[in-house]
Amino acid sequence: MRRQFRDTVMRLAEDDERIVLLFGDISVYLFNEFSERYPDRLLNLGICENTLVSMAAGMSATGFHPIVHTIAPFVTERSYEQVKLDICYNGLGCTIVTCGGSFDYAWDGATHHCYTDLELMRMLPGMEVMQPGSKKEFDVLFSGCYNNRKPSYMRIAADEHGLDLPCEFGKGVVVKETTGADLTIATAGPILGNVVAACRDLPVNVLYFHTIKPLDTGLLERFAGTKIVVVHDAFGLFEAVSTACPAGGAVYHGLPDSFCCWYGTLNDIRRKIGLDPKGIRRKLELMQ
Amino acid sequence: MDEISREIRKNILRISNHSGHGHIPTCFSVVEMLRAIYETMRHDPKKPDWAERDIFILSKGHAALGLYCTLAHYGYFPISDVFSLGAFESRFGCHADRFKVPGIELSTGSLGHGIGVAAGMALAFKLLRNSRRVFVLIGDGESNEGTVWEAALVASNQGLDNLTVLFDNNCSQTRCLPITRPAEKFISFGFDVLTVDGHDLEALKGAVRHGGKGAPLAVVADTVKGQGCQSLVTDVFTWHRRSPSDAELNMLFGELS
Repeated sequence: MRRQFRDTVMRLAEDDERIVLLFGDISVYLFNEFSERYPDRLLNLGICENTLVSMAAGMSATGFHPIVHTIAPFVTERSYEQVKLDICYNGLGCTIVTCGGSFDYAWDGATHHCYTDLELMRMLPGMEVMQPGSKKEFDVLFSGCYNNRKPSYMRIAADEHGLDLPCEFGKGVVVKETTGADLTIATAGPILGNVVAACRDLPVNVLYFHTIKPLDTGLLERFAGTKIVVVHDAFGLFEAVSTACPAGGAVYHGLPDSFCCWYGTLNDIRRKIGLDPKGIRRKLELMQ
Repeated sequence: MDEISREIRKNILRISNHSGHGHIPTCFSVVEMLRAIYETMRHDPKKPDWAERDIFILSKGHAALGLYCTLAHYGYFPISDVFSLGAFESRFGCHADRFKVPGIELSTGSLGHGIGVAAGMALAFKLLRNSRRVFVLIGDGESNEGTVWEAALVASNQGLDNLTVLFDNNCSQTRCLPITRPAEKFISFGFDVLTVDGHDLEALKGAVRHGGKGAPLAVVADTVKGQGCQSLVTDVFTWHRRSPSDAELNMLFGELS
């Protein structure tokens, strides 16, 4: 998906000289061709996320479309106030594109895990929040938001859900609908692949939200008469869904209240916390 | 102190007395700096959004009342408007809002943000090959924040000689974390540095006109918190965020003249 980021930006930059990339010293080699073609427009400013965000706000004020790119925890958690004030409060739109969300850097330990980013960004007034689960979704969502003068946040994931789904900003997708089912699963991002594998033969509904804010509440309303369980390896979607359907509430199957310091891989951690297909299925069977 | 600087200070006192808001001593330390900027940079009070204007950001946002009184003096809005300071639904908050007040380029208040945003604007003007300049006023207390020095490092590394940082050296942090020898610090970060008397309008204007030569410029302005009223200077911590009563207003007016 990171290569898709490069390809999408390369394509858009051909026709839009207002695109400027502000990097926190990552992905630099990947963007060599971009740097050669547009030497002024990739600024690898340093390992200084606070300044990266503040400078993006300043560049936005002059009409550029800045794209901030670095590792998720360091820009969303460390630089939260810069995003809140310089970008959102001052209305200086920019697009923040991160990698390393949730447990993509499982082996690096809790300093490099980031499951709060989507919820932190969702709480900021005016912020658009997206978690694409495929290259196609990244391309569609990024192309639609990078120049809309609004603050936007999106993750680049290490894996993909493996499905070819329709993609439109702000629109959820019905991945599976079973007539008469009283259980609906809501999910976002690449973990959809595990959800689909877990419930292939179960009589449930599956809703997928690549856009967490604004959430497609109209789609949720269609399934309001069913029990809703949010399966997600991050915070953000559960809170958005719970806000949208307060009547019956929603159940969360996701993160424990502890650091997940077992190293290994993304899938090792998902298995350990019950977010592999087997763990998800166990939860769904208990709920039926 | 000339009559204009005295009148701006009097308005700060009048509005603080009327509204019960405002950080008077810090406002008093920046009056001449604000005047030097607005008497030097490209701007048009009748067209605050003029596309070729220079940019000024007050990063130490708690001096907003001083900025409002200065902007009013240069014709951005009538001073009478500012008497609503801090009132419900007033345009004039205790920290300025760029969507509500003409001439405000950035809504500030939390310390350590303005210099980074200013650096982004300066970098953008460089990329656009535009001669617009960016000025940002920071406090010495504000410079306890690491983001000030992070942004200074990047501004210097990017060679932003269209950026001028005015450092209000009013020794406000003597009780906890003073910024000693600020000129040396900025030099070591790669800035051009000029040190001036922060209440000498002509010296400040000269420094502001000078600009950086291949590097960003820091103007270290030696100032006195509460400059102009001995009571404010003597009891600086008492007056940090206190408004004068009617009797105190008369006393402070007497000290000003």
